[in-house]
Amino acid sequence: MQAEMIDVMIVEDENQLAQLYAELIDNHRWLRLVGMASTLREAKALIEEKRPQLLLLDNYLPDGQGISLLENDVLKKTNCSVIFITAASDMNTCSQAIRSGAFDYILKPVSWNRLQQSLERFIQFSQTQRAWKVVDQQNVDSLYQLQAKDFTSKAGNKGIEENTLNLVEGIFMQDAGRCYSVDEVVSETGLSKTTARRYLEHCVQKGDLRVEMLYGKIGHPRRMYRRA
Amino acid sequence: MRFRPSFQIKLFIYLVVLFVTLFSIVGVYYYRDIERQLYEDMGLRAKVQAEEIALIPSLITAVENKDVSAINRLMMNISAHSDASYMVIGDGKAIHLFHSIYADRVGKALVGDDNVDVLAGKSSTTVRLGGIGLSLRSKAPILNAQGDVIGIVSVGYLTSHINTLTIEKAIRILVAAATLLLALFTFSWFFSRSIKRQMFSLEPREIGLLVRQQKALMESIYEGVIAIDGESRIAVINQAAKKLLNLDAPSRELRGKPLEQVIAPVSFFDRQVMLEKDIHDEICLFNNLTVVASRVRIMLEDQLQGWVITFRDCSDIDRLSIQLSQVQRYADNLRVMRHEQLNWTATLAGLLHMGRYDEAIRYIEAQSESAQELLDFVSARFCSPRVCGLLLGKYARAREKGVELAFDPACGLTHLPLTLSETELMSVIGNLLDNAIEATLLRGENAGPVEVYIVSTDTELVIEVADQGVGIAPERREQIFSLGVTSKREGDHGLGLHLVASYVSHAGGIIEVSDNSPTGSVFSVFIPNGLPIAIPDCVPVTIQPEQREEHK
Repeated sequence: MQAEMIDVMIVEDENQLAQLYAELIDNHRWLRLVGMASTLREAKALIEEKRPQLLLLDNYLPDGQGISLLENDVLKKTNCSVIFITAASDMNTCSQAIRSGAFDYILKPVSWNRLQQSLERFIQFSQTQRAWKVVDQQNVDSLYQLQAKDFTSKAGNKGIEENTLNLVEGIFMQDAGRCYSVDEVVSETGLSKTTARRYLEHCVQKGDLRVEMLYGKIGHPRRMYRRA
Repeated sequence: MRFRPSFQIKLFIYLVVLFVTLFSIVGVYYYRDIERQLYEDMGLRAKVQAEEIALIPSLITAVENKDVSAINRLMMNISAHSDASYMVIGDGKAIHLFHSIYADRVGKALVGDDNVDVLAGKSSTTVRLGGIGLSLRSKAPILNAQGDVIGIVSVGYLTSHINTLTIEKAIRILVAAATLLLALFTFSWFFSRSIKRQMFSLEPREIGLLVRQQKALMESIYEGVIAIDGESRIAVINQAAKKLLNLDAPSRELRGKPLEQVIAPVSFFDRQVMLEKDIHDEICLFNNLTVVASRVRIMLEDQLQGWVITFRDCSDIDRLSIQLSQVQRYADNLRVMRHEQLNWTATLAGLLHMGRYDEAIRYIEAQSESAQELLDFVSARFCSPRVCGLLLGKYARAREKGVELAFDPACGLTHLPLTLSETELMSVIGNLLDNAIEATLLRGENAGPVEVYIVSTDTELVIEVADQGVGIAPERREQIFSLGVTSKREGDHGLGLHLVASYVSHAGGIIEVSDNSPTGSVFSVFIPNGLPIAIPDCVPVTIQPEQREEHK
């Protein structure tokens, strides 16, 4: 499969930073810098003209917030993806960017490794997208995985440790027929409540434990765990 | 300033002027009428006397013979018995033969120029200036046996005499009228005073102004206002209320309608409670709109006249308080940030100056590292961008308040339950987090993090939020999901958990509330995926607490 060059545009009003981004892109073999804008207005015009596939978008611009561009028709029309860059203290805007469907979100001060990673992921995403003529559900899922996350190795980490798991499972080994509430597991193991819940739910998912409802005389039912 | 009499004085003056005018007109009319009547009566009396005298045979003979002494004798006798002012006898040529007052007139001509008709044989009654003054007099001809006019009898009443009579009568009437007027004045005074008192001692002008002001006031306030009378019928409703309640009908159509036709009955409008006490800032549901409502009784002289109900949209208040607190926060943040930035730049400059470039890079990257990690973690683990946004937003808000949100490493939301919409899920998570953050803040410093565990398994969605805040008193635990129960000093006033409970139960899930150790509370929500799962093992079993005790 022959990879094609990807057109990238930079929207950043801090000139020095923009130059650094530009250098990073120029040095990449699959990326091509098509334009640089320092204001929202400039950016809109340039997107119309150059039709880039990827935008490195800074949030704080002299004539408004970069986030507003995410909702703009120009981006939808040109089918342009966005790597959104904002200050670390500005998590609220970041959450808004996630909702608006930005490809990735990078916090300032920018970790160049993280930016590099993000760019690589976009190249992969874009080339995979191009390669598939027929899109089936599995492809869509993989695409989604690429778009939203490249942390599959981390996602597999459920925070489950062997020792603790044995400790929790050991309680249920003592008496096969007995029901335990979270509180009872907590008092037997000395784990925190949320940790105990995590392990219990993990066991339920594995099929080692099953859940039963205990309806008290008053109030809400309680969730009990029993060996499957 | 021009003198402006008060309404009471004005009303009194109006009444007095009306009565006086009325009495004057009636009085003048009656006076005239009495006068006319009197003149007529007196005229008739004079005429009758004149005509009777003219018929006396001895007089006729005496006149025929011009026997002045005989006439004098006869007439003196008659005039002494009459109330007439004067009596005069003239001959056929209108020459005095007798005058009851002035005897020296005898032989002189009669004055008044009204004798022509009489000499022609007709009686006449006239008001003329006679010999002794203005008088009403009647003249009758004296006829002889042949029917020729041989003389004139004139009987007169001085008008001054008649007027005296009239005035006497008028004075009597006047006294009666004056008494009546006095009574009316007194009545007017008390009447105007009582009206004034009923109008709260306000001038009609002021009342008019008040009404207009009230109207403008009602429309200018952003709160919904409804006034109802004692029978719960709408008396006043403002535009804001109509807008909040989504009412299209014009106000005049709504006026007089029973309240329950406009707002679906809620306990807020319970008759008994309404009579007992006023309520301020209660959360309730008006036609599916969550509002903060107040209710005040209107009393007028110890009599209940109705109620005034005011209400605001709950979300408006939330938004406002958020905006307010944000401004304060921005200002504080800026100060802190500037300080931090200076330190940061100084450190960086130092590292670069000493050529420790790797350290400088690490130092810079560390600034965004933890936030970036959280960002990557959340966006990787939660399939819904809106839930991601919510979690990040809450994380940022919590951190600003000094509360840490700790996501359990096992978090993972790969799909939403079929029975719960994304918005409802966000509401559930958001409200649980808000509560946990609030509880942590209430405990003050050194409270541990709020732990969040959200995981979707094949069969259900588990949401657990654990805080180490103030916890929930055991006696309140049963009520925390009811509407309006709150431990918060501000914010949504106990609506959050009610929403959570209703969404969860609607989705067929359950909520478990328990104590966290060492303090705080744990809210665990379990919502089935909504897919039919044919695993017999999963059928819920009911275990009574007694049975549970045996297991121990």
